[in-house]
Amino acid sequence: MRSLKLTGQLVALAAVAGLLGLLVWRLTHQSHPPRLGAPAPSFSLRRIDGAGTLDLASLHGKAVVLNFWASWCVPCKGEAAMLEQAWKQYRSQGVVFLGVDYHDVTSDARTFLTHHGITYPTVQDGSGAVGDRYGLTGVPETYFIDRNGRLVGAHVVGTITNQVSSFHKGIEAALHS
Amino acid sequence: MILARFAAVTVAALALAGPAAAACAHPRASLTFLEGQIMCPTCHTTLDQSDAPAAQRIKAYIQMRIDECATTQQIKSELVANFGAGILAAPTHKGLDLLAWWLPLGGVILGAGLLALGVWRWSHAREPFAAAAGGPALNGKPSPELDPETERRLDELLAKLE
Repeated sequence: MRSLKLTGQLVALAAVAGLLGLLVWRLTHQSHPPRLGAPAPSFSLRRIDGAGTLDLASLHGKAVVLNFWASWCVPCKGEAAMLEQAWKQYRSQGVVFLGVDYHDVTSDARTFLTHHGITYPTVQDGSGAVGDRYGLTGVPETYFIDRNGRLVGAHVVGTITNQVSSFHKGIEAALHS
Repeated sequence: MILARFAAVTVAALALAGPAAAACAHPRASLTFLEGQIMCPTCHTTLDQSDAPAAQRIKAYIQMRIDECATTQQIKSELVANFGAGILAAPTHKGLDLLAWWLPLGGVILGAGLLALGVWRWSHAREPFAAAAGGPALNGKPSPELDPETERRLDELLAKLE
């Protein structure tokens, strides 16, 4: 009877320890938004403008403008033309624009790209895992990554059309830092 | 003239309704059912409780696939491929996801077992006291006789009290 009691106590202790372990794991694995100057969270995502995947690491050595968007996002439609125009303006200076389609239906996203004439590479973050690692609060949001793969310039929350100056400052920071 | 118009409208309506009403080789999937099975990725509720733009687009996609005679499982698989397993409201019945189903059940069974054991031990621990007091035992058996020495001392004590 005594051994039964001891076993029960051990089981209860193990259960409590397990729950504590889960709590610690959750706390230590919470995603924190990356700070300015920190390496941009890496990712490899499926392209929706073509076949295969695109790895952010493959763009090392280039300034990157990372734009999170979705076809269901009304403000994203408003800034699409300006992004495409800026891509055409800056690509000769070694800037790569990369669209990240966030929580979206693939067919809708492709229709969006065609409708707005987007020609820069676009990948899909269907689960939103990459957006979460960047600390995304919604779409659209635009981040700037320098040639060393670090986040620079203040990222633009909301449409770039309302924050043109911040957008261009971000690109300059990515090019020259 | 009116008859000709009516005929034209009828033909047009039939032409439009034709593809949607076309019979599938299997029972059609239900949008209402799937809305309770699929999560809105931006608001973390099921689709039937969300009017978020992302949820609206997913509902439209499901309806389009239902109209194309896709099965419930096909639609779910496509959504998982697009959004990841987190799009499903309930975990699958495969691999580690099985833990989510069996662990709570196991916990309930274990808890019930421990409770039953505790009650059994508690009731049996009380039995000797009941027997020693000369009352009927809890299990209904007759109480044991007192040994002669104890009986003698008890008689003495009772005599003093009188």
